Amino acid sequence: MLRREGALPAGLRQTASDRPGEAQPVPTRDVPRHPWGGIAVAALIILTAGVTAMEVNARRIGLHAGDIDNSEVEWVKERARSEGAAVAIVGDSRILFDTDLARFERLTGVRPVQLAIHGTSALTLLEDVASNENFHGLLIVGMADTMFFQPFDGYGGYVRHRNDFKSPSGHIGIEIDHFLQRRLAFMDSNYRLSVLAHRLDPNFRAGLEGPKDDIWKVQEVGERRQTWMWPRIEQPGPLQDHARWAWKGFKEKFPFTPKLIAKGQARAKAAVDKIRARGGDVVFVRPPSGPQLRVNEEAQVPKAKGWDVLLRNTHSAGVHIDDLPASVQDLTLPEYSHLTRRCSVVFTDAYVRRLTELTPRLKLRADAPAPLTRADCVSTVASR
Amino acid sequence: MRGALYDIWSERTRGARPMIFNSLTFVVFFAIVMALHHARFFSWHQKKINLLVASYLFYAAWNPPFVVLLWISTVVDWWAAQWMVRAKQERTRKLWMVTSVVVNLGMLGYFKYGGFLLENFVELMKAVGVTYQPPKWDIVLPVGISFYTFATLSYTLDVYLRRAKPAKHFLDYALFVTFFPHLVAGPIMRPTELVPQFERQPKTSLHQVYFGLALITLGLFQKVVLADGFLSPVVEKVYDAREGVPMALDAWVATLAFSGQIFCDFAGYSSTAIGVAMCLGFAMPDNFRFPYAAVGFSDFWRRWHITLSSWLRDYLYIPLGGNRHGQARTYSALMGTMLLGGLWHGASWTFVVWGGLHGIYLAIERWLRGRFSGWRPGPASIVALGLLTYLLVNITWVFFRAKNFTIASTMLTSMAGAAARPVPMIALLPMIYAVVIVGGIVGTHWAMRDKTLEIAVERTPSWLIGGLLGLMALAVVAEQGKGSAFIYFQF
Repeated sequence: MLRREGALPAGLRQTASDRPGEAQPVPTRDVPRHPWGGIAVAALIILTAGVTAMEVNARRIGLHAGDIDNSEVEWVKERARSEGAAVAIVGDSRILFDTDLARFERLTGVRPVQLAIHGTSALTLLEDVASNENFHGLLIVGMADTMFFQPFDGYGGYVRHRNDFKSPSGHIGIEIDHFLQRRLAFMDSNYRLSVLAHRLDPNFRAGLEGPKDDIWKVQEVGERRQTWMWPRIEQPGPLQDHARWAWKGFKEKFPFTPKLIAKGQARAKAAVDKIRARGGDVVFVRPPSGPQLRVNEEAQVPKAKGWDVLLRNTHSAGVHIDDLPASVQDLTLPEYSHLTRRCSVVFTDAYVRRLTELTPRLKLRADAPAPLTRADCVSTVASR
Repeated sequence: MRGALYDIWSERTRGARPMIFNSLTFVVFFAIVMALHHARFFSWHQKKINLLVASYLFYAAWNPPFVVLLWISTVVDWWAAQWMVRAKQERTRKLWMVTSVVVNLGMLGYFKYGGFLLENFVELMKAVGVTYQPPKWDIVLPVGISFYTFATLSYTLDVYLRRAKPAKHFLDYALFVTFFPHLVAGPIMRPTELVPQFERQPKTSLHQVYFGLALITLGLFQKVVLADGFLSPVVEKVYDAREGVPMALDAWVATLAFSGQIFCDFAGYSSTAIGVAMCLGFAMPDNFRFPYAAVGFSDFWRRWHITLSSWLRDYLYIPLGGNRHGQARTYSALMGTMLLGGLWHGASWTFVVWGGLHGIYLAIERWLRGRFSGWRPGPASIVALGLLTYLLVNITWVFFRAKNFTIASTMLTSMAGAAARPVPMIALLPMIYAVVIVGGIVGTHWAMRDKTLEIAVERTPSWLIGGLLGLMALAVVAEQGKGSAFIYFQF
């Protein structure tokens, strides 16, 4: 029988609540009678078998080891690298997904620092770089019309909390986490037990935004924040359908009034002027979006009032997808908003070549590879 | 380009955290501590030094300079107790006790309540027509300060009250204050519970280690899977909603889910802490005794956060007079204790109201017990009173969880079905999960209300325990428990 401490009914152990106003004795902790060695072995076998099954399943469904989470800490690291960098990129998820950093480097010899953040207005990040007195390089600002002028900054918290205290345990935890994520595929925050369980709800309850309305996994993140579309989204199927549906056509709930757009233009001009005043420069890039989204984006922030005015006001060069040659038009946008991994290389190739013509701060290497065209990605995807 | 996915991304990447039990950092830390502690080549004295250093590292892993606070508490209280014993006059003893109280509560007051007092002072000035703009109060709250302040205060108070003798060795005392399993979120240990355990090396059996690991698994399952994975999202959806007023169903489910979340979070932490200590060969006291099966509020407080409620009883309620000086004094002591208990949880008036409500409940219960002293409830009445207790406890949780009185008022209005133009907020499946989990928790508490976990485990077949532990550990891994810190860390 278990040892018991007090005079309470059978099976109960006294606690401090039963001993008012006295020195509390050393507690006793019973160990129930069981073959604990055998229990530990059984539990370990179940755990090992389960984790192995999870890992096998994760790889089967297209998750990869080395796909590390999009982490605020990684952004802060890149932000630190941007001090004194020759080229940095800011913007939302489009320029984040649609820029292949390796291709950029092969063309120019410069690997840009990737500071774009999903769901975040490029304006917020442009202003952050403007406030960075140590940045004197070229800033490439990726622009999605509605997101650029939206009245909130999305994940601007990354910027606001950049200098917040980070505990040593927080740093170590992230490093261990990334160490494991580089080796295990199942460690993906989108495939946590509770997240999957919640996503079984196909919006049973009318009138609310449920787990189905969330943005599910659409990307893979590599080292130095290189981000690509997750291959499962590139292929037709329920995940691609969901990703398309979740954007809801980019029909925002708030109106893009002339006042709102004018305010954004003024903020952009002030930030660009500040960067130029200390010897830096700014160019803008507008990546593609599918016609299903473009029509709504154009309706909310017309190109003539957004993009054109932005370049004019800030006296900046820019590369709009519409300005690129026909050979790189109609790239594949599986969920209408971001390019496939292969097409992101083609788009990067095209816009970087164009930028080298627009700014002396980027030069095409003598040994730069030959230009890519739509055929380098679309045919491959189509044949899958 | 928005949605919960992005919230998941940022949730696991926040950096300003202590070394929480459900972190990979702790797994590595604990493995090293276990290896050193059970190594045969260290003497007991050296092992205690190892534990002390490990405990300081555990605390420094959050914010290294704040280790100084631990040192101040440790040194001041050690010497206060020493001088108290050596004092020949009662007045000198009292002086040392007061010194200890002032230093400890002074640090707690400065770090935890300084901003709160300043805010209220500004409001008070505004109310009398004086505009006062103080400098910005930007002080970091040292993690766990409320817990270790109470633990170390109990040392000098026990010595002063002659309930205990001072520790014989400074190392044992320093380790008592700093011992990492209880350092940042309890259970709030008394020196008499822990110091004697450091005096000689305990014999740790392998079975103890295995059962300790089982408790850790149970605690992490409660925290990572139930509290963070399934209950917290439901609570946040309603309590942190940016717009709209919840329907009665949503408000109730969110509040019930919070009752489950706070239990799983804190009881999970306590179980893990007890398991960690057990793996090292030490015993820590129970902190929870199936509280949602409480019948009445005095019963609830004998089951919920036992080490805090008994601390408040022994060092606040009884010194305030307890029940020895007439009805009026008893009710005043009760209310005072609960109001301060509320404030202990956080520098906010919502916590004061939470404590005040519990004080009112306790006072009413006390009055009813006096008025109907001859009544002996039958089984049905006990269940009905238990459910009423749980219902009323849930009302208090509204103030505990709501960030301000506007949210609390909105929630209570919705729960009463009196909200204008309410909207649904929680999707059906997450709602079902939450209700099933909370129902399971309450049902388990009733099934276990007169038992201990150990008794229940002993009566369960071994194969089932092995299977359950394996599945719980697997669920923790599948949930990738790197999420949020324990709620009670902020206190």
